[in-house]
This record gives sequence, C-alpha cells and structure tokens, in this order.
Amino acid sequence: MMNEKEMQEQLIGEGVGFERIRRITGYLVGTLDRFNNAKRAEEHDRVKHDMSCCSFEEAHTA
Amino acid sequence: MIQQIVKRDGRKAPFELDKIAAAIFGAAQASGGQDYEMARSLAEQVEKMLESAAGDQIPTVEHIQDTVEKVLIESGHARTAKKYILYRNERTRVREMNTKLMKVYEDLTFQSSLENDVKRENANIDGDTAMGTMLKYGSEGAKQFYEMFILDPAHAAAHREGDIHIHDLDFLTLTTTCCQIDLLKLFSGGFCTGHGFLREPNDIRSYAALACIAIQSNQNDQHGGQSVPNFDYSMAPGIRKTFRKLFRSNLAKALEVFAADENNEVDAETLTERVEQQTGKWACLAGDNGYDEAMAAALAETLDEQAVQKCMRFARKYADKETRKATYQAMEALVHNLNTMHSRAGAQIPFSSLNYGTDTSPEGRLAMEQLMLATEAGLGNGETPIFPIHIFKVKEGVNYNEGDPNYDLFKLACRVSAKRMFPNFSFLDAPFNKQYYKPGHPETECAYMGCRTRVIGNRVDPTREIVNGRGNLSFTSVNLPRIAIRAHGDIDWFFEDLDRKIDLVIDQLLARFRIQAAKKVRNYPFLMGEGVWIDSDKLGPDDTVGEVLKHGTLTMGFIGLAETLKALIGKHHGESDEAQNLGLEIVSHMRERMDQAGEKYGLNFSLIATPAEGLSGRFVKIDRQKFGLIEGVTDRDYYTNSFHVPVYYPIGAFDKIMREAPYHELTNGGHISYIELDGDPSQNLEAFEAVVRAMKEAGIGYGAINHPIDRDPVCGYTGIIGETCPRCGRHEGEGVPLSKLQKLGLYKHLNSMTLGYHGDPAEEADRQPNTLKVVKE
Repeated sequence: MMNEKEMQEQLIGEGVGFERIRRITGYLVGTLDRFNNAKRAEEHDRVKHDMSCCSFEEAHTA
Repeated sequence: MIQQIVKRDGRKAPFELDKIAAAIFGAAQASGGQDYEMARSLAEQVEKMLESAAGDQIPTVEHIQDTVEKVLIESGHARTAKKYILYRNERTRVREMNTKLMKVYEDLTFQSSLENDVKRENANIDGDTAMGTMLKYGSEGAKQFYEMFILDPAHAAAHREGDIHIHDLDFLTLTTTCCQIDLLKLFSGGFCTGHGFLREPNDIRSYAALACIAIQSNQNDQHGGQSVPNFDYSMAPGIRKTFRKLFRSNLAKALEVFAADENNEVDAETLTERVEQQTGKWACLAGDNGYDEAMAAALAETLDEQAVQKCMRFARKYADKETRKATYQAMEALVHNLNTMHSRAGAQIPFSSLNYGTDTSPEGRLAMEQLMLATEAGLGNGETPIFPIHIFKVKEGVNYNEGDPNYDLFKLACRVSAKRMFPNFSFLDAPFNKQYYKPGHPETECAYMGCRTRVIGNRVDPTREIVNGRGNLSFTSVNLPRIAIRAHGDIDWFFEDLDRKIDLVIDQLLARFRIQAAKKVRNYPFLMGEGVWIDSDKLGPDDTVGEVLKHGTLTMGFIGLAETLKALIGKHHGESDEAQNLGLEIVSHMRERMDQAGEKYGLNFSLIATPAEGLSGRFVKIDRQKFGLIEGVTDRDYYTNSFHVPVYYPIGAFDKIMREAPYHELTNGGHISYIELDGDPSQNLEAFEAVVRAMKEAGIGYGAINHPIDRDPVCGYTGIIGETCPRCGRHEGEGVPLSKLQKLGLYKHLNSMTLGYHGDPAEEADRQPNTLKVVKE
C-alpha cells in the first residue's frame, strides 16, 4: 500500500493522449484515429476562415 | 498422346479432350455456332499442336489455352476466337478477384485499424471489434460478388476504374439509403420492432426512449442514416401528457396539505376527469386554455377561496418544475442512448439526425430547450456527444429575428453549437426550400439528413412534396477531375465526356432501382412493415415495394469541382470569377441532366454534393497512378469535397459563403457548407451568429461551423488544447501529480485501486465555465 505522500506524488495520465473531435462529411468523430488516410490529410490541410473581411457585412447591414 | 496437364496451382490432372472441345463449342455457341463435331475436330488439332510443341513436357493450362486461341485464329474461326479470349479474360479476372478478396480478408483479420485503411473507411465503424470486422468481411465479399455477377459489366468497369463510384455497393441488392421518420405517425397506436410490441407512449421519457428505438430499428433496415424531420413537434405531445399527469398528482398533494383531504388521490382524479370533460382540455404548460379557471371553480364548490388559490398555485408550480425536470432527463437519456446504443450487429451506433426549431408551442419549445441544454452539458464525463446530429431550422418570423417566438432558441442553438459543433443550421427561407413551405404543415419544412441528403421535391406525386416517410434510394458519384484532366483544356470535350458519364450513372441508378423495387415488404420489417416509409402501410408483407419506393430519390453526386476547374483553366472557383462561372455551368448542367432523367423515367432523380468520406481518397489515388502528379489537381491525398472551396485555400468566411451559396440551389439532392473558425467561438458568440446569419442571407440551404473541440481525459477539460492542457498543464502523454489534480478539485474520493477520472458528481456540480485562454498552435 502506498502512503499518503507517495500517493500525492503519483503521476496520473502517463501515456494518455488528448481527444480531438473533428467533423467529417456532416458528422463528428470522436478522435482522429478513426479517420481514413485521405480524411486525415484533408483535416491536416484545413485553414481557418477569417472573419475580418467584409464585402458581405456591408451588404448585410445595408 | 497427352496424358496429363499441369493445373494453375501446380497439381497434375488427366488430360481430357472433351473439355477443350466443350470450351470451343461454348465460345462458338456464343457467336451463333451449332456444330459440335467441328469443335471436336478443332480440339484434336489443339492436341496435335501441343504434342508437337511440348515433346515430353506436360502442358500447362495457360499453354493449352494459348494453343486453342492459335488454332482458332489459324483455322479462320475469328469470331469464336474472340469469344474464347473474352471468356478466358473474364475467368482470369474472377480468379484474381478471388485471390484479392482472400488477401483483403487476411488484412482485415491480422491488421489493426491503425495499419489498415479499409478498416477506417467509415469513421463510425470500429473495425477492430469482432462485429466490426465481421461487417467488413461481409461488405468486402458482397462488393466483389456484385462486381462479378450482378452489376452490368460496363458499370462494374466504370466503378472499378474510378470513373464513377457506386456508393454503398456492399448493399447493392439489399436495401435503400435513408429515411425521414415521422415519429408522430409511428407512435400513434404503438408499434412493433420486430422483436416486441410497444404501446403508444404516455410520458416524455417514453417518447424520447421510443424515438431512439425507432431510429435504431429503422437503421437496421437501411444502409444509411436515420433522420427525424420534426423532433420538436414529435416530442410536444409527450410533454403535454407528462404535464397533465403531474398536474393531477400535484393537485392530489395540494388537497392533502391545504384541504386536509384524506381521500385526496381519488378526489384529484375525479376532479380532473370532470374538468377535462367539461372543458375538453387538459391542464397545460401555458395555463392559458381555460382549464385552470374551470378547475378553480370546481374546487371552490367545497373549498374556500384561499385554499383554492393555494391548491392551484401548488399544482401549477410543481407540475411545471417536474415537467421541466422530466423533459431534461428524457433528453439527456436520449443523447446518451444515441451515443451508446448499438446497431448493425453492434458494429456502430445509429447515424441519427434530429431536425427542429419551428414548433412554437410551449411544449415543443421546452423539448428543444432541454435537448440543447443536455447536449451543452455533454456526456457522462462532459464529453462532446457525437450523435445525434442536430439541425436547427432557421425561419424568419419564427426564430430568426428579435421578437420572433423562438428567437431565444435560435440564440441558444448558436451558443450550444459554439461549444459542441451541433446544432447545424438549415435555412427554410432559401428560395429552393421556401417553395415547399406551407405554414401549419411541418411536413413541408425542408429537413436534412445530418450528412446533407435532402429529399422534399416529388415528381412522382406533386401533391406530396413533403419530408415525412421519404429518403434517398441510392447514389453514385462522378469523378469530375478525371474528365477535366483528360480534356486537356478542351471545355467542349469536357462536357461531352461528362454527358457520357452521366448517361452511365443514370443507367446504373435505374438498374439498381429495379433490384430494389423487386424487394418485398417482409425484407424491411420496420421501414415497410411498420409503415415508416410513405404509403408502405397500404402494402401487405408479400407485396413488392417498387411503387412506394418511387417517392424516394435516385441521386447523382460529384466530387472535386475545385480540382476540375484547376485542371481545366488553372484556377479554382475560390480564386477566380471565371472559374466560378464555369463551376456553376458544370453543376447546372448536371442538375439539368438529372431533371431531364426525372421527366423521362418519372422518378425523383436529383443531384447531391457528395458527402464522400470513403471516396475522398479513392479517385485521386487512381488518377495519380494514371496521370501522375498534377499541381492543384492530384497533388494531395484527397479530392476536395463536392463544390467546396478547397480546405487549404485561405479565404474569408463571408467570401467562402458567397462563393458556395449558389451551388446549394443547384444541388437539390443535398448540400452543406462549412466555415472553419479559429479559437473558441463560445468566447465570441456574436461572430458565430454573424456567420450563421451570413449563410441565411446568402441563400445557403444547410451549413455548419467547425471549430476545434479538444478534451483532456485526465482532468476532463473540454475546449481548445494546444501543446498543454489549460486546466492541468500536462503535455500529451504526460502524467500530472495527483496532488495537483486534487488542488483542482478533482479526485476527491480516490483510492489507489481506482485511479482515473471518474466524473466526480460533486466536481461536476461545482463546474464553472472554463477559463479559456486560446493557446496558439
């Protein structure tokens, strides 16, 4: 049995990864592990869409 | 005399002249010949030639077949020779496929899904489990069987070579894709799952539980997903029934407390019956239908004014509170069930989609609110639920603007989506959706399958352009980029070849429909047997389903518009107006061809922006082998999804929306646009909502916003995680000292045997919104 001090110093979560939920073809997938190779490549290439521009906002608020 | 031959596997077998004669005769018959004696004499020539060529060596099967060809040609039997060669090639292909299939089985058996891409073809099937692998054996075997024996050889070749992709080929002869289930109709009078009968539900908890069972049962009759087009309207009656019961039981309690009524339960029941009969109404959430006044009057016959008021206030207060709680629990259970219940022999959970947003009744609104709150809270340890897919129907005058009755729910939908990526948003005011909309008829509100499939227009019966009980029958996608590569910049040739491929797809969809149409009701015990599919309740178990299936859609899809445009004119539609115009021309043409096919065959042909999970890498792999690495076309491991602007191309959110919106109108079989947002949109709900509104204004039919959702299973943090977890500070794979987790309020009740995050209920109750520092990746 561990004593209190040993327990306090014990490390939790070694080898445990982070979960990263992403969307493919309309539904979410729990982790990237389940993606097929092509979808992994696609997810890797995704860039974010900037909100700053906006020809549209002018039209929208007009 | 030749005595023996060597078979392909190396074993020896007796030489039989009759076999050669029979093969030659078979080939001759195929080209119209009748003369067996001639075949026999040709076989004898073959034997002679073998003897003179081989000497003492035992001839091999291949050698014999070569000699047969030679003899046939030399003796002037050209047509028979041609048939013989065709037959031989076909046999070779069959043999190779058998070997290939066994190789596929070997890999499925001995490789993990990490090593084997086939096992990860579909991300929601766990290919590492027994049932998941069994499903793959069946699926891979079925595909090859159909390719060899069922499919028209022209369709099989086009599929094999990657000109077209026949989706869900493993189910070719078995069933159809998906269905939009009308739960209200199904629940009315109860239903049978094929394994037991369920009474009509009488409580919101049963409504929610039965909704899951309906989705699960129907999923087993089809190869695609299941959608509820009217979830809010479907749950409302359950809440009405629950409130009625809770009002009565709380009235009973009130009678005991405030009127010292010993016989309270019976009295409450009697009173309820009397007032319900007198008013024709039930006690309801809003309390605005005259029931309360009538009940108060009935109570006043025996109680004083003050006691009446106390009883009424008590009954209403607790009925309201308990109904809300019951609804939350029902919705929480539904979300949990849809993330854990198994379908298809345990290999996957049902692909479920719930559409809602427009029911303005207090009960419908409560169902939506509690469903979204349960989704926001997450699963047992706060994980993001993967299912159901939520689709919030946005509609002006109902929920889009301030002052609309469900505007609060639209705001809530944005908030929940900013955290959990669901709901997605569908737009009933997009002109192509609005044309079907009839106020007061939820079945005319366009719904979507979560994956994007859309079924509402109905050429077969224009009086029933509705969503309920209908779905897609099958779909097949065209490899657009390949046509563009082969066009070498010749746009006219591109359209000519596209037309040839479209002809092929139409032909193939029709052939598949004929197989589907010949099936009987008993092949689909739930979908047809329980009357889920439109008009199937009018059929008997041995009736064929062809007539009712006509209400479903036969759909052509496409992939890689961006790569197509790159190959044709050097730019994709995100970077040039010229490309955008050409892109619209191409997609319009495909749509016109589908409309024409619909008219010609009297069936619901439609055009879908293919979802393409399994397809994204398949075409490009073949095309790279055939045509080499072409910049912007075959240089990535995937073709861009349907009409999307490529995911790698930097473009502002609003520009992307404007670029993609016009394609939504053209793709009547389904479409979706995504926006990828950086950071945690929960911290910027205004921006999130602005994107949704921009989609609506641009005429998008169905859209969703992607943003990173990460979770650390050790401390339970959900949000964005860069290099380190913002809550417990660990790197991926790193351990955290227990003392640190305890300081964070985790691991209160641990002992050394049960280390791990257990979702401590005390901790969950204390949870504050996470302080979300956006970590730059």
